[in-house]
This record gives sequence, C-alpha cells and structure tokens, in this order.
Amino acid sequence: MWMSYIQPPVTVMTDDLLRMESIVKTFPGVIANDHVDLTVRRGEIHGLLGENGAGKSTLMKVLYGMYAPDEGTIRFDGEPLRLDRPQDAIDAGIGMVHQHFKLIPRLSVTENIVLGSREPAAPFRQENLGDGLLATLRSSDPVQAVASRFSLGLDRPQRRISDLADQYGFDVDVSAPVRELDVGQRQRVEILKALYRDVDLLILDEPTAVLTPVEAERLFETLERLVDDGLSVILITHKLKEVKSVTDRVTVLREGEDIGTVETATVDRSELARMMVGRDVLFEIDKPDTTVGEPVLEATGVSAIDDRGVDKLSSVDVRVDAGEIVGIAGVSGNGQKQLAETVAGVRDPTAGTIEISGQGLADASPEEFVAQGVSFVPEDRHEHGCAGDLSVMHNAVMKDFRDEQFGDSVLFDYGSVGDFASELVDDFDVRGVSDVTTNCAKDLSGGNLQKLILARELARDPDLLVANQPTRGIDVGAIEFVRERLLEQRNRGTGVLLFSEDLDELFDLSDRLLVIYEGEIVLRTTPEETTREQVSVEMNGGGEAQVSVADADPADTATRRAADGGRSDQ
Amino acid sequence: MLVDIEIDAREQTPSWIAYGTPLFAIAAALAVSVVALVAIGVNPIAAYVEMFLRPFGTVATISNVLVRATPLILVGLGVYLPMKAGLWNIGAEGQLLAGAIVGTWIAINVTLPQLLVIPVILFGSAIAGGLWAFIPAWLRAKWGISEIITTLLFTFIAADIQLYLVRGPMQGGSGGFPQTELLPEAAEFPAIPGTRAHVGLLVALLIVVLVYVAMNRTRFGFRVNFVGSNADAAEQAGMSRYRVYLLTLVAGGALAGLAGISEIAGNQSRLHASFAPGYGYTAVPIALLGRNGVFRMLLAALFFALLFVGGNRVTVAMEVPSAIIDIVQALVILFLITAEFFQRYRLSVSIGRRDDGRSIRGTEVTTDD
Repeated sequence: MWMSYIQPPVTVMTDDLLRMESIVKTFPGVIANDHVDLTVRRGEIHGLLGENGAGKSTLMKVLYGMYAPDEGTIRFDGEPLRLDRPQDAIDAGIGMVHQHFKLIPRLSVTENIVLGSREPAAPFRQENLGDGLLATLRSSDPVQAVASRFSLGLDRPQRRISDLADQYGFDVDVSAPVRELDVGQRQRVEILKALYRDVDLLILDEPTAVLTPVEAERLFETLERLVDDGLSVILITHKLKEVKSVTDRVTVLREGEDIGTVETATVDRSELARMMVGRDVLFEIDKPDTTVGEPVLEATGVSAIDDRGVDKLSSVDVRVDAGEIVGIAGVSGNGQKQLAETVAGVRDPTAGTIEISGQGLADASPEEFVAQGVSFVPEDRHEHGCAGDLSVMHNAVMKDFRDEQFGDSVLFDYGSVGDFASELVDDFDVRGVSDVTTNCAKDLSGGNLQKLILARELARDPDLLVANQPTRGIDVGAIEFVRERLLEQRNRGTGVLLFSEDLDELFDLSDRLLVIYEGEIVLRTTPEETTREQVSVEMNGGGEAQVSVADADPADTATRRAADGGRSDQ
Repeated sequence: MLVDIEIDAREQTPSWIAYGTPLFAIAAALAVSVVALVAIGVNPIAAYVEMFLRPFGTVATISNVLVRATPLILVGLGVYLPMKAGLWNIGAEGQLLAGAIVGTWIAINVTLPQLLVIPVILFGSAIAGGLWAFIPAWLRAKWGISEIITTLLFTFIAADIQLYLVRGPMQGGSGGFPQTELLPEAAEFPAIPGTRAHVGLLVALLIVVLVYVAMNRTRFGFRVNFVGSNADAAEQAGMSRYRVYLLTLVAGGALAGLAGISEIAGNQSRLHASFAPGYGYTAVPIALLGRNGVFRMLLAALFFALLFVGGNRVTVAMEVPSAIIDIVQALVILFLITAEFFQRYRLSVSIGRRDDGRSIRGTEVTTDD
C-alpha cells in the first residue's frame, strides 16, 4: 500500500509540478491502472489520452483523492502527497472540472463558487469587529460559531471572483443564477470555482464533450492564458485533434497500461491513434461509388417547433435517395434535432409533408414510420436511445419486438430474443456484455451503447436511416466502426441522413451535403464542390455571421440542454 | 476522533445480502420495537411469539392469515401493474371502494343461482374499479396530469359516496347502523373446504399467475416494461405510451375493485361504513417491496397479512393497545423499505484517526465514461 510513508521524504527541485510514479489500482477482475507514470511540468498543458475504459478517469480519481492506489507514489511540488479525500487535493492546490458540471442551477455564480468555503457575513468577520459591547458579543465563541454556520457574506468573494473573471477574460455575470448561463459559461464557472481555491494544477475531464466547436475553441484560449500565468493543466480527452492543437505533452493509456509520454509536436495524429488503439486507424474512409435509387425520403416545406414551442425549423425541403448519404452540417441548436426527429416520425411537423418511399406519413404515429422502414439513431443515447434500467436484450429489440420471429401475436419468445441480441452484440463488437439478459444498457460505455443502438437500427435493414450525431462523445475505435457501418449500409441501398458537427466526418461520408442555419437549409452542395471553409462560413450564417458566432445566442436551448443533460427542461 | 462514512454503489449484490436483508431488517425493527413494548410493561418475546409464530399454529389460524391476505394480494396487484409502467396508483383505495359498492349492489339486487351470480358480481366490481381509475388514467395518458394526485382525490370521492350510500339508499339490516343488509347466501363466496379461506383467494392466486405471464411472456408485457423504464425511448420505438398508461391503470383499478368485493362477499358479508382499513394504502408498500417480480409482491402481501393478523392477536390476547401494534407494524415496513438501500449501496463506517480511514476501503469498479 502507501509506500511513500516508509521512504524518507526527499525534496527534489525540478520543473515537475506533479510526479505520479508507478500507480497501480485494481478493481475485482480489472487492472484499471497498471504501473502508470505521469509527470506534469509547471506551466504546461498535459494531455491524458485514451479510449473509454483505458484508465484515465481512475488515474485522475487517484490524484483527486477519490480512490486510494494499491501501489505507487504521488509527489506534488516536490513533496510526497497523501490524499485521503478530495478536500486534501483541493488543499494541496489541485482542482478538477468534472465532465458533468457540479453546479446548482438556482444559485448564483458567486454562491456556487463559494459553496463549501464560504465566509460569514461582514459584521462577524474579525477585521470588522471593532470595539465595544456589541463587538465583544459578536466575537464571542457561540455567536461566531452560529455566524460561521448560518450567515453568508458574499460581498468579498464576489469582488474576488469578478477580479478573477476579468483577469482571464471570462464574460460571466457573477450575480446571475447559473440556470441562465449556457454550457460554455457554466464550464467557465467550474474553472472559476477551481481558481477561487488557488489551484496550481487544474484537471479537466473531457471538457469539450458538451461544447460546440466554437465554444471549445474559446476554452482552449482560456487554458492557454492559465498556463501563461504559471498554472498547469491536465486535459483528459479521447479526441486526437484537441491533443494536437493545445497540449505540450501527452501521456497515452491503453487498457490500464501506460503506453508512454511524448512531446506532442513530435508525433502526428496517426501515431497518437496507434498508441491509443494499439493498431492503425484509418482516417480516410474508402467510399465506393454506388448507384442511387428511388427517393426514400421526401420532406417538403417542413416546419417544426421545439419542446417550448419556439419555431426551430421553417419550411425545409430534404430529399434522400436510396443508397446515398446526405450530410447535414450546422452549429448545434440550428434545428438539426427538430429536423431529425420530424423525418424520423418522432415529432409532428407544424407544416409540410413527409413521404417515406412514396408513402405520405406527415401525421402518422412513430409506429408507422418504424413499420415503413425508418431507423433512427437519436442525439441523446441515454434519454431517447435506450431504456437504461432494462437489459441489453430488451434494448436490442426495442424496435424489432413486433417481428414474427419472436413469437406469435400475443406471446413473446424471450429465448429467441436473447439469441438475437447475442448475435447483434457479437456482430457489432459491443464490449462489456457478459450476459445480454442481465447486463443493463446504462452500464455500457458511450461507444458500446452507441454500437448497440446502431446494431439494433441496422439489423432491420432500413430504407431510411436518420443518424443524429452518431459519433459524438465516443472513442476513436468506435467512431471508425460506426462510420464504416454507415457506409456499408449505404452501399446496401439504405438512404442515410447524417447530422454531424464534425466536418471531417461529413466530408468523408456524405454524397451530398446540406448546411442548416437557423432552421433553414442555406447551402446545398457536395463534398467535391465545396470546401470546409465555405461550409463553416455558411454554418455560421454567411458573411454577416462572423460576429454572431463569437457570442453565440445565450438563449440557445439546445446547448443549454446538453449542459445539464436536459434536466433544466423537466 | 473522526467518524468516516463511505457510501458506494454496489456493482453486484451478493446473494446472502439479497436474501438476508429483509430478514435482518425485520429483526432490527422488532429489536427497536422492544422499547415500546417494554415501556408499557409487556414481555416482548411473548408478544413476538404471539404475533409471528402463533398464527401458524393451526389450520384455522393460518386460514385467518389467508383471508386477510386475499384483498391485499388483489389490491397489491392493482398498484403493482401500473408501477411497472412507471405510474403510481396511490388511490387504489378508491377503486377498491367502487368495486365493493357495485359488487354489493349486484349481490343484493340480482337474484341468480350461485354459479352465475358470483361471476357477475366479480365482473361488475372489476368494471367499477376500472372505471374509477379510468378518468385519472385518461388524464395522465392524454395530458400528463399526475396520477398520484388524481387517483388520491378520486379516493375521497369514493369514500364519501360509500358513506352516503350505507347511510342512505343502500342502508339495510336492523338497528339503522351505517351498513347494508346481509348479502344473500347465493352471493357469498364459498369457503375452501376445511378452512375459512374463500374462493377469492383462488381468484387472487390465478391473477398473480396471469400477471406473471402477461409481464414476462407477452409482447404487451415487453411494452409495459419499456414504457416504465424510459417512456421517451419507448415512444420513439413506436410503442404507445397512451395505450400502456390507460391499460395498466384501468387494469389496476379493476384488480383493486375485485379486492373490494372479495373482502365483502368472502369475509364480511355486508358493506360497512368502514369495512376496509386502508387496504388500498397498504397496497403501496406491498407493491413497492415486491416491485421486482409479481411473486415477491405475493410474498409481501402475505407478510403484511401476517403483520395484521398477528397484531390483532397481541392486542386481544395480551391487552396491548392497538396503537403500540401500529408502531411495531410501521417500524417493520420502514425498516424493510430502508433495507433496500443496503442492497444497492455499500456503507463502510470507520471510527478512529484519519490514517486508518482509507486503506481498508472496499473496492468498486469504474469505467472511464
């Protein structure tokens, strides 16, 4: 166990702020960290790269005092560090911004930041006590004890927080309630929370998973500013692009093992991918020509509103033919969700017609769309894509449970359903499933859950597949897999409508490309005819939009939903 | 001195914990209840023997428990079924009353041979209970109005209608008590030979099996499970939330209605002003304890029947105030429901210096998700 307490502490003066040496952490049946070393220098952005399940989070939980390592030592600032709980890490100067924000929407920014380290109200603070009978009373132990528990002084913290915000150029109103902030702002509040506690090392756990590309860009600028000021940053990620663009060095983990630490400038993307996945990853996808068939989707003049009744889609025409992938590019919240849901039959359009393989279905129930051969990969895997508490088997037949192969009109043959589910799991290489009847969907990692959903939707050999952000938040290996399957399905004659915020993905996969902006299709083109730059400009509203991108609409409900997993809507 | 409490979610529940916790919870509740019993000068051991062991003494005492269990099983199903679809039928009491009223009316006013009249009575009560649940079910399915509130409010309506009827139009028998006249002999549920238990028990057990088959072997059960687990995802897959909500809640109401008439026609022989001491409310913890499977719900209903019958015995035989027995019963229920926490979470408490705190901590599995 804790070897460091036997060894005499040796203070080494180096540029290294943090040295984690030979960290071992095992769970029953799993070695989550197998002798992992991690050294972070002062003033660097250090990437921690690995697929889901590689042990990144475990290592950071060890560093944040949430897990005790089985073996290994941690030195911080040259001194051995003993971490029993997160408070010890915070005291030592380590701050963490979790992937799921830990903020209370009703409270103001300042209140959220001082949570756990608040000060008593001004009249009870030492420097304000003064003389006299009243002061004696106020300084007496019982009164102080009560004051420190039940009074709240926000004046001084508020000043300090706005100073901090100014210093790093955060545009956050410190007195605004958190629920009024968008995702990017909420993340900045989390960073402020760490800075308020005087951290030297800031850990960010997959910070861009919830951000739009524009917001991610802003985050990286902030991080640069922080390291210029002498802070060190650990950036946990599985996105190679981010590693390349912002980190100084990167440590790669794979299945709990330490693959090594490299200077980011000395490696290219494919080398990093190989370190991370353990084999060559194809970034260029071979896209054979196919013959396009009859239209499978013809949406004409479709308008739709979001859950709050706000117009999100105005008179959109989209056609998808059998055997082609039509890509939809756009900044999150410009009506993609509504378009996807409308053509998949989940949301009723307020105007317009939808024909699936020539059948008019605008007012039909979701069941009729399913019966007509429409498959749908929704944006939010957990909210809409699965029933987390039910087994993998249940989820595998969520769409196909009506099929005759699973029994007669009344009885349902769970035996053959289980066999079918096991087949899907094998075919699509869904990992982490030992028994399809007992493993719950919610226990699968994001990538594996997405594979399961895709498997289910493709097993029906649909005429039309609507896929909304099918590769968001999943690791490189799974992304490659999903893209290959989408292409394969297109080659088999399925029409695919693909929504993505990843332009590389759209350019690699699409046969035709549409750009959506504020609920309208503003550009119809093909990847060969256009450039990423042109699409980027159109996504942001053309020439005039250069300004409006930077300060994206704070009332943008879609991004806000993403921030708290949709909780604020319910 | 530092008390360190760690709570971790369990990845897997060991089987000794899964089966042991209910027993341990009951034991713990009884241990706490000793305080109340000793305070009023009752020997707790004797009281517990009277309460939990004596009911198993003879066929007659066992059949007392079964008589009490019959309405609890039926009304428990009436809460269990909607719960599977994610609905809380808090107002099963009202549906039970509706079934009792209509069933009693049919029994008194329809003259048919026994073999015909009993099915008619059962059918009528089920329809009445189902109808009583229909409006809350429709409001929930169509407009999303909380069934917790509406079913509960419908209970108040049913209770007042019942009071009005037994004091007014349906009042009967001698002495002007708030009750109906006795049911004609043909309408009384025949007893199972050699016991006091009546055919209502057989009906209840049959329905338990039917519900098991429906939930675990049919496409309908698949839909109910799916809607109950994630209604949004179920709708995307083309399952109708509307239909599932309406069907399960109305079916639940029908089962509660059956519970009402089986208590009257099988046990009490007439509709009193206060014939059902909150069976419909008791059904909620029964369904909650048994929510992982209908046979567990059956066990829970039998256990609650034992609690009631045993409690009565203690009140009568040992002259313990019934309020004290209520306390014992409430503690048992409370401990049982709390105990489920320990099946899903691991709690490690360490007392002492901080250095001892972590190294002996339990293990847990994590993913980088």
